[in-house]
Amino acid sequence: MTRAHPHPLERILESRIAILDGAMGTTIRAYGMTEAQMRGQRFKDAKKDLLNNGDLFNLTQPAMIGDIHRRFLEAGADIIETNTFGATSIAQSEFFVDDPREHGGRKAPEFYQKIVEDEFLNGLAWEINEQAARLAREQADRVSEETGRQRFVAGSIGPLTVSLSNSPDPDDAGFRVVTFDQVKAAYARQVRALIAGGVDLLLVETIFDSLNAKAALAAIREVFDEDGLSAGGRELPVMISAAVGRGGETMISAQTIEAFWIAFEHTRPLSVGLNCSLGPDLMYPFLAELAEKADVAISCYPNAGLPNPLSQTGFDLGPADMARYLREFAQAGLINIAGGCCGNTPEHIAAIAQALDGLPPRRFGAAAEPLALESEWKA
Amino acid sequence: MESVSAAQSQIVAGRRAHAAAFRPLRLSGSQPFTQQEGVFIVIGERTNVAGSPKFAKLIKEGKYEEAVGVARQQVENGANVLDICMDEGMIDGVAAMTRYLHLLASEPEVARVPFMIDSSKWEVIEAGLKCLQGKGIVNSISLKEGEEKFRRQAATVRKYGAAAVVMAFDEQGQAATYEDRIRICERAYRILVDEADFPPEDVIFDPNILTVATGMEEHNNYAVDFINATRWIKANLPYAKVSGGVSNVSFSFRGNNKVREAMHAAFLYHAIAAGMDMGIVNAGMLAVYEEIEPKLKELVEDVLLNRRPDATERLVAFGETLKAAGADAGSNEEKKAEEWRGGTVEERLAHALVKGIDDYIEADAEEARVKLGRPLAVIEGPLMAGMGVVGDLFGAGKMFLPQVVKSARVMKKAVAYLTPFMEAEKAALAASGAVVKTQGKIVLATVKGDVHDIGKNIVGVVLACNNYAVIDMGVMVPCEKILERAKEEKADLIGLSGLITPSLDEMVHVAREMERQHFKLPLLIGGATTSRAHTAVKIAPQYSEPVVHVLDASRAVPVTTSLLSAEAKPAFVEQHRAEYEALRKMHSAPRLKLVSLETARARRTPIAWRAEDLPVPAFTGFRVLDEFPLEQLREFIDWTPFFHTWELKGVYPRIFDHPQHGEQARQLFTEAHALLDRMVEEKPIIARGVYGFFPASAVGDDVEIYADERREKVLARLHFLRQQTDREGPQSDSALCRSLADFIAPQETGLRDHIGAFAVTSGIGLKELCERFKAAHDDYNAIMAEALADRLAEAFAECLHKRVREEWGYGREEALSKEDLIQEKYRGIRPAPGYPACPDHTEKGTLWRLLDVEAKTGIQLTESYAMWPGSSVSGLYFAHPESRYFSLGKIGRDQVEDYAARKGMSAGEVERWLGPNLNYDPAEQDRS
Repeated sequence: MTRAHPHPLERILESRIAILDGAMGTTIRAYGMTEAQMRGQRFKDAKKDLLNNGDLFNLTQPAMIGDIHRRFLEAGADIIETNTFGATSIAQSEFFVDDPREHGGRKAPEFYQKIVEDEFLNGLAWEINEQAARLAREQADRVSEETGRQRFVAGSIGPLTVSLSNSPDPDDAGFRVVTFDQVKAAYARQVRALIAGGVDLLLVETIFDSLNAKAALAAIREVFDEDGLSAGGRELPVMISAAVGRGGETMISAQTIEAFWIAFEHTRPLSVGLNCSLGPDLMYPFLAELAEKADVAISCYPNAGLPNPLSQTGFDLGPADMARYLREFAQAGLINIAGGCCGNTPEHIAAIAQALDGLPPRRFGAAAEPLALESEWKA
Repeated sequence: MESVSAAQSQIVAGRRAHAAAFRPLRLSGSQPFTQQEGVFIVIGERTNVAGSPKFAKLIKEGKYEEAVGVARQQVENGANVLDICMDEGMIDGVAAMTRYLHLLASEPEVARVPFMIDSSKWEVIEAGLKCLQGKGIVNSISLKEGEEKFRRQAATVRKYGAAAVVMAFDEQGQAATYEDRIRICERAYRILVDEADFPPEDVIFDPNILTVATGMEEHNNYAVDFINATRWIKANLPYAKVSGGVSNVSFSFRGNNKVREAMHAAFLYHAIAAGMDMGIVNAGMLAVYEEIEPKLKELVEDVLLNRRPDATERLVAFGETLKAAGADAGSNEEKKAEEWRGGTVEERLAHALVKGIDDYIEADAEEARVKLGRPLAVIEGPLMAGMGVVGDLFGAGKMFLPQVVKSARVMKKAVAYLTPFMEAEKAALAASGAVVKTQGKIVLATVKGDVHDIGKNIVGVVLACNNYAVIDMGVMVPCEKILERAKEEKADLIGLSGLITPSLDEMVHVAREMERQHFKLPLLIGGATTSRAHTAVKIAPQYSEPVVHVLDASRAVPVTTSLLSAEAKPAFVEQHRAEYEALRKMHSAPRLKLVSLETARARRTPIAWRAEDLPVPAFTGFRVLDEFPLEQLREFIDWTPFFHTWELKGVYPRIFDHPQHGEQARQLFTEAHALLDRMVEEKPIIARGVYGFFPASAVGDDVEIYADERREKVLARLHFLRQQTDREGPQSDSALCRSLADFIAPQETGLRDHIGAFAVTSGIGLKELCERFKAAHDDYNAIMAEALADRLAEAFAECLHKRVREEWGYGREEALSKEDLIQEKYRGIRPAPGYPACPDHTEKGTLWRLLDVEAKTGIQLTESYAMWPGSSVSGLYFAHPESRYFSLGKIGRDQVEDYAARKGMSAGEVERWLGPNLNYDPAEQDRS
């Protein structure tokens, strides 16, 4: 990505480990919202249940979203994510458009072509992203001012509910429900709205299908080029983060860590990393591999262990556990950005921030070179 | 001619030294692909409608699934990248490219490699890029339609993250002369690298492989111009790669595959020497430069290198005679079978080696000796060449292990025939110092305390086939002996093998000793319980030189070749170092969560004890079975592991339908039965066993064994371990912490339970049998005999277990098929000390005292508690319907201390025997 000057966040990454926030969804659940509160006036007549469409809270419960951002910032987060994980026309269509399969039809590129051209969905997606970016921006700026420490807003770009790599049709492995261009168009709209709302960074996250992510990154490239951000040296830094399974491969498209990095290196991201899926304990070897192969900042924000319906947050690991694991990663020199995914509350982030305070970041880029020469056969 | 090419490569090497360092091209499918310096990248061409009429037909007829098979075949034949092209008038390029790539994405074996999207239509290229999750190559972009379009295309390629082939083509047309080729390539390079920020290692030039021997004089220098342009690019455009479509060069000779293949091989030979990085070729049909018939090679090189004005006519004329001869030969399949006898003696020797035919080997060896004048010349010449072919085919996955072993047998016979002549010659020419030049010398040994060596023997044979001098020291070799011998022989490598877990510690010991004695040789580690992780974490850190884990025999040659090659070694060692470092990091990652021993005991297998579940055996005490009939055991053989021994993976009997090695498996099976017939008939090996039943009660995690039904005198005490891993799901079965002691009625129930025990062998006489085979230069049957004896021992255990269930009463009604037996669908288990449920090998000592095993059967225990002879099985019988196999997994310090106290051992000793099961590092004091 071309930028006129190094981004202020890049300078921070050279001197310490930056803290990313925790889970939006898990934290929202603790507010005990009802379907009616989710709908508000605006969506009171919607046909489908909306309670699980957390991105809509930006519009119906902005005070709660703002409060969550504030709590993460006060817990010590340098970077907060917008509440836009599913804010594309394609993902929103799940909540607002009849599923053709219920009427004997099927989801196919013809169906999704209508979705990405649908005025209501496009309008809604724009509004969610822009509003979400504003809510985050407002809190980040306020806390920056109060604490004298600059905070950043990352526009969250999630993985979608459809896959470009897999066929849902058991009789035809060559079938795809959606096309690359449709996915790219939905992402391009999200990217533009996030930028319009004032985000500092773009975060393509929870990548379990590498081809979906490629469409997102192609969309970002096109938005930068077409909207004059490249020519003006005003491209936003991009962070990318994959979700890998127990064998260390992207969960849908089964790409191994090194293959993934080779496929995305051309985007010259600010950081690459792993999030979600595995808890921190199982993530270690894959993070180590990525840290060895990739010469950019490494981010890591795992789930708080595995889902556990008996626990209060719905996940196994408490703040102290997460802090201990991430501290181990930091001590092993693996990370530059740390935070939490599903199951991580502001208390988790506070514990992580405290545990990482004063620990040196992983050395990368030019700073890492002298170390590379010291390697020998023996450990 | 040879000296010309040697001189050329020297020039190249010299220039390279001044050029910039190597930067690999890195690509990916679902797996990464990183270019290795000096290794040619093979781009498969059969998935190109322009190059393959068969593929074009499949696509046109919409037979996409079959077309996927073409891709799979290319990958199997060793293609690193697949070139995919749908440019044909009758095909909708965008739709065909998209659909085909979607299908390939669902084919894991194909999807792992990177793809090259090949089209002259830009929309087809973009459609292809939209289907690639990894980093592929675009073929191609060029300056044909001007700079602006070129820049735009380059930017699109970058947006999708691909590398690009750049054709030497500009607004004026395709570059044909050397000057035009380098001018256009340089211009394109400057635009891409200096202005468009394109990574130079992702720029792949195609300086146009054009057809020669067209009859037009101006075409005669095309191949030379390509080669020279390649050399210039590599010297002047840092990091850029060179590729080309090789088949083009020979287009004048279409229909004459023999000439075309020779042209491709010779062309590649020279172009690679000039620096060509990759090429689009038929991965399944790459001829070897050295194997081109000399006359044909000379004519072909005259054409390619433009060495004489009449080169084309001469090659055309020769090509016609070849074609005529080929048509004759191809007409009769049966004639062909024996036709190889009509070749030169060198050809016959090579053929015999590759096909494993020993019928004529001595006569041919004699003929070659007379012809070449010296016996050594036969070995170093045609025999080594033949084995080289075998090694290459094996390395490329085109030959399977049984074939290789057969080749080795033929080789050995030939060498045995020639040896007396060599000795006579040596005596005569003592001063000449003639010795067989080998690849390198390796000392192989199964470490002290371990007797298993089938795997090691196979490795030895494979290495010998590849011209290594192999010094096999056999089994149970102490460290000092191995190191002494390695010094004495001036060995280049040491290979250690072992099957049982205590051998792992012995290997660590050897590595430590090598370090202390300042050895400089690489150390290879192999055997069933060894692993990359163990090698990386425990062995490699003990020794400063490379320590490499060799997974199976097929990896032995690539590993040894890399370690002994001055050029390949540094990269190989570096790659291993990095991989092992990653493994060590993984190992140092947070450990498993364990529950305390107390909690584990509370989670014991819940069994409601009832007298009716505890049948009384027909007798107590033990019985001996001597000279147990082998034909009876034969029925109980589980064949699947037999095929695994030969590295043929698959399940019996389905393995016979395996597309690649089904036929191999069938043949192996037939030959196994032939040897079994002989074994039954001639009884070279004897099966012997002992088994018994004893009154027993569980006391805590121990089982007390009593002398008689009064249950007063304790005859022996078995010590068991208990699972401690804390698994998910409190309700589920997996949360239990099992111990074998759970399956015997506890003393406090007052119930009268029993336990059984056994030890059987089919290895008596095996060593002598194998030695007889080896003396007859028949390594194949020596390995076969060992593999069969192992299977017979397992079959013995299965057969005896059936008898035991009957004598115990509960098994009389079971009526199970052979498959059911193999799948162990019966009541009760027979776990063995040293296996997952009770990994402590030292418990075998108790078993040996209880059944007086050594005196009754001749099976001995080594200091590591391995059984000798190796084809032996021992274990315990549990009859309770709830008894089942499990894996102990990791245990904590608390259990180790408790167990040590029960066994009367020190905790340190227990830790040594149970190393792989410890969830802590005994060296660390305070971590639990």
